[in-house]
Amino acid sequence: MTRILPAVSVLVVVFATALPWGLPAGATFIPPMVVMTIIFCWRALPGTVLPLWLAFVLGLLTDFMSGGPLGFWALMALISAQTGGYAPLLAGGRAPNRLWLVWAGVAAGIGALSWLLGAAYVVHWLDPWPFAFGTLVSILIFPLLLRLLVLFTGGLPKPKFQRGST
Amino acid sequence: MRGGHSPFKPRPRRSWRAPGELLNFVLYFSCVVLLVLSRIGHGAVEEARDGFAELSAPVLAAASKPVIMARGAAAQFRSYIGAFDEIDRLRAENETLRQWQWRAKLAERNVTQLRSLLNAVGEPALHYTSGSVIADARGPFLRSVLVNLGREDGVRIGYAAINGDGLVGRTVDAGDAVARILLLSDLNSRIPVVVGQASVRALVSGDNSDELKLEFLPDRASVKAGDEVFTSGSDGVLPRGLPVGVVTGSAGAFKVRPHADLQSLDAVSVLFFDTPTLTRTDPPAFAQDRALSASADDDDELPETGPSASASPRPADARIKQAGAASAPNEGIVQTRQ
Repeated sequence: MTRILPAVSVLVVVFATALPWGLPAGATFIPPMVVMTIIFCWRALPGTVLPLWLAFVLGLLTDFMSGGPLGFWALMALISAQTGGYAPLLAGGRAPNRLWLVWAGVAAGIGALSWLLGAAYVVHWLDPWPFAFGTLVSILIFPLLLRLLVLFTGGLPKPKFQRGST
Repeated sequence: MRGGHSPFKPRPRRSWRAPGELLNFVLYFSCVVLLVLSRIGHGAVEEARDGFAELSAPVLAAASKPVIMARGAAAQFRSYIGAFDEIDRLRAENETLRQWQWRAKLAERNVTQLRSLLNAVGEPALHYTSGSVIADARGPFLRSVLVNLGREDGVRIGYAAINGDGLVGRTVDAGDAVARILLLSDLNSRIPVVVGQASVRALVSGDNSDELKLEFLPDRASVKAGDEVFTSGSDGVLPRGLPVGVVTGSAGAFKVRPHADLQSLDAVSVLFFDTPTLTRTDPPAFAQDRALSASADDDDELPETGPSASASPRPADARIKQAGAASAPNEGIVQTRQ
């Protein structure tokens, strides 16, 4: 279950992001950022499997769905997945609040990189507001998404203590 | 020392600590390559995109049904809440429209008389087909939607897409059963227009925001906020006279607010308007009998309409595709006849 669930859940979200929700122009950065958040969460959660190559494929699917340049969201998905894998190290554990802090930093980085890369791609300064808003929303919904994913996986495993350890 | 390394010999240094690192490098490098290929518009990228759109279209069409229904229900709920205010507003609007109807009839009669005096050749009507939006492909630097209409329905690249309120965009990709419409608000969208009663020529371009930029206005052009903006047709791609929006802002920083709500498109109609440029660049894989042709043979069969670009009743074999419970897509087309 922990092997299939991450990929399937991200796939469902990728398809959901392409549906005509009628989002305002300033909110177009939110759906792909939700995908990135979930990829990060799955990589940070223990006992779940979401290899980097799969994150790349899912990011590529997001590119296809968004109609944007291929490789854009694939790159962001790789960054999310890689930092998600290192998140417990960076946060000094898997405490949700610490993971949230790490994601806040990563999301800010992804938002800034997206804006710069997008501007370089279209050779035109883009309005930073949708990027900032999408990043902010992804940071705000992180605890909710993490809790949801933990719920799906049946809860975080309890820390194991070795016999004799204090 | 058997089986181990000699302390005097340096250990062979591995260039990669693990195969995983090589894979990481390949993945990141692939992203860069794909970005470059997308930027230069490589054919393989476009083919892959078209192929994926074709593959995902049935899934998206099915998945968009509940979304469209939910949006319809939400809109209905909102209308219930403000029903009384809406009734008052509609009554006032109805009064105004009645006056306009009288004026329009008068103007139509005058135009008919003048055209007969001038022996003017009537503009051909535009045929169209209607479909539903199945995917909202709007990214941070892209504004487009996928519709469930394709080459099988006669849709080709460069056709204008409208809804009940006005111009929405134009088709930039057309697969067998699905087409991508580049919205007016996209960065790459450029539409030649005429503004106001003086028919001042200008260019409307998107900048990924809700309002469009009005550029290349001549010096001392008599343009003011509230002026109507229509397509000029001077590009030879879009028919002239399609309503685009209304001028907002002040001199020097004029903007155009599109009539169509580009954020919540449900149903769109694609106009069959062919130009010699298109027929040269695009293979003729569409239903000839449903497409508008500038040839005299076809003109004979088309109903004569008013002086501006107009949408004629849908041909008998042109079908309306609906992905969800969107309201009848043809309802608004009548407005484009003005």
